[in-house]
Amino acid sequence: MSEPVLSARALRKSFRSGDALLQVLRDVNLDVAAGESVSIRGESGSGKSTLLNLIAGLDAPDSGTVLWGGSPDTGAGRRAAYLGMVFQSFYLVPELDALANVLLARRILGRIDAAARDRARSLLGDVGLSDRAHHLPSQLSGGERQRVALARALMNGPNLIVADEPTGNLDERTGNEVVELLLGLCASADTALVLVTHNASHAAKTRRSLTLTAGALGGS
Amino acid sequence: MPWYLHLALRQLFPTGRRFPFFTLISTLGVALGVMVLVVVMSIMGGFAYEIRHLIVDTEGEVQIVARGPVSDYASVVKRVESVPGVAAATPYARDAVMVKFGDKPAFPMLRGLDLGSIERVTQLGRYVVVGSLDDLDDDSVILSDQIASSLGANVGDSIEVYSPLIINKLSADAVFLPRQVRVVGILHIGHQQLDSSTVYGTLRLAQDLYGLGSTVHGIDVRLNPGVNEDDAVARVNKVLPDGIRAFSWEDSFSDFLWVLNLERSMIFFLLLFIVIVAAFSVTSSLLISVVRKTREIGLLGALGGRPLHVALCFCAQGLFIGVLGTVSGLAAGFLALAVRNDVVLWVARVTQRQEVLRRFYQFSELPSHTSGSTVALIVVLTIVISTLAGTIPAWRAARLKPVEALRSE
Repeated sequence: MSEPVLSARALRKSFRSGDALLQVLRDVNLDVAAGESVSIRGESGSGKSTLLNLIAGLDAPDSGTVLWGGSPDTGAGRRAAYLGMVFQSFYLVPELDALANVLLARRILGRIDAAARDRARSLLGDVGLSDRAHHLPSQLSGGERQRVALARALMNGPNLIVADEPTGNLDERTGNEVVELLLGLCASADTALVLVTHNASHAAKTRRSLTLTAGALGGS
Repeated sequence: MPWYLHLALRQLFPTGRRFPFFTLISTLGVALGVMVLVVVMSIMGGFAYEIRHLIVDTEGEVQIVARGPVSDYASVVKRVESVPGVAAATPYARDAVMVKFGDKPAFPMLRGLDLGSIERVTQLGRYVVVGSLDDLDDDSVILSDQIASSLGANVGDSIEVYSPLIINKLSADAVFLPRQVRVVGILHIGHQQLDSSTVYGTLRLAQDLYGLGSTVHGIDVRLNPGVNEDDAVARVNKVLPDGIRAFSWEDSFSDFLWVLNLERSMIFFLLLFIVIVAAFSVTSSLLISVVRKTREIGLLGALGGRPLHVALCFCAQGLFIGVLGTVSGLAAGFLALAVRNDVVLWVARVTQRQEVLRRFYQFSELPSHTSGSTVALIVVLTIVISTLAGTIPAWRAARLKPVEALRSE
């Protein structure tokens, strides 16, 4: 059996709040295979975003390990190529147009050539924004911005995409379109997906649906 | 181009917007500092350059003097002219005299010139505006224009010259008669001090007036173009008899030049504060930008950007503002220098102070000389200071943890 794209083992994370120590994650284990889509649901404050940050290597666990393709290297240098991220608030750079925002992911890897530009344009076409390539984020709707963010997450051909409530700022119809697009693009690129969502219907569309309750991850 | 430079440029010049307010104001601040530095340093450099030009044009690059009068000067001139790098040498005699025309006196220096060699050493003939050096003989003088004006004398008039020997003759109860000479030319050098205090005659006239016999007060030397003055002075000193020394014009005016350089250094230092204040404004604006873009900085980390590169993105903004401000400031500075005389004359005319300007600033036009090394120093310091202005915001940005930055409200 091939190495999982993501392997999290016995992750524990706590935060200090005044004198109290809040245990947010307790021995969380998660394996995601190549091309697999996994959703994580949970109430607000259940630790979904914390888990995502640990998975993405943006934060360090108190204990436990995160492996990307069997390697413990989850540093910034590897993150650019291995992992794509999608956020609730899109986080596009306002001074860059849609095409430049997509290309930013590749620039951080240090390689911009004609092929990269073609891929960025192709991804914008895949998310239905061919004709908006030179529009600034301020000239795009919320759904369009999130599509640009999807294209950016896929730009470097990552093994894994982590999406933190990507429909949280969108209306239901646009949210559905974005999730369909995300799942479709990940499937066609054989990219694994970890989707954090409140929406049960969105979670149902993933291959595996998990729930985070009181810091512990359970299957459903 | 690395992503942090690309992003820095895009943040300064966003797509679809020509010149954002922050970039405009920051660049203007730096440009203003550079412009003022270039204009003031060029004008101060112009004074020094013009003074050198006038001294060299009227006295040569090297002056030879002795403790007393130089005897057998012809042999000294011959020896000096044999030194490599020396183009020509000319003897002179110079002392104070009193000149009188009608009932108007003046007290200039009378400089006696050797007409056979003076034009090989100096460019004095270029400054004679009425008449010519060729008209000069042992019974005539050329007056500087301000002396002529204060005496009310013109070419063709006869003036009286009283030499310092009058003191000796008066003490010996001897009869003293002034020397009658004709005015054969008017000279305008363009330096207030020289134009208000110099009269030129022949060497023989000066020797007679000062009782020098066949001796002279000194020898002026012209060097070949490109010859180093200090090296030439060292070579000339080797052939001079004891008691006679050669000095470069810089040695002769060393105190004056030292004061001039001190003034330039102080003014440069003070004006540099305009650039430093502009740099503080850049720091302040970039700090606000770091706070405003906290979540974007978090995003860059999430996309794999290293903290050092995030820092370089903000440092580069300081660098680009510095480069842009420097280029704009240089352009504005050189433009201001190009129209300086028109502006100054307009101000003087409006305030009716043309004469005051000439009297206090020595020159009839505002001089300017831009030294390459000064411009290089301004460019380097401005760009370094502007880049340093970005370091505090850069440090703040680099310290932000992506996970916290993304969570910030």
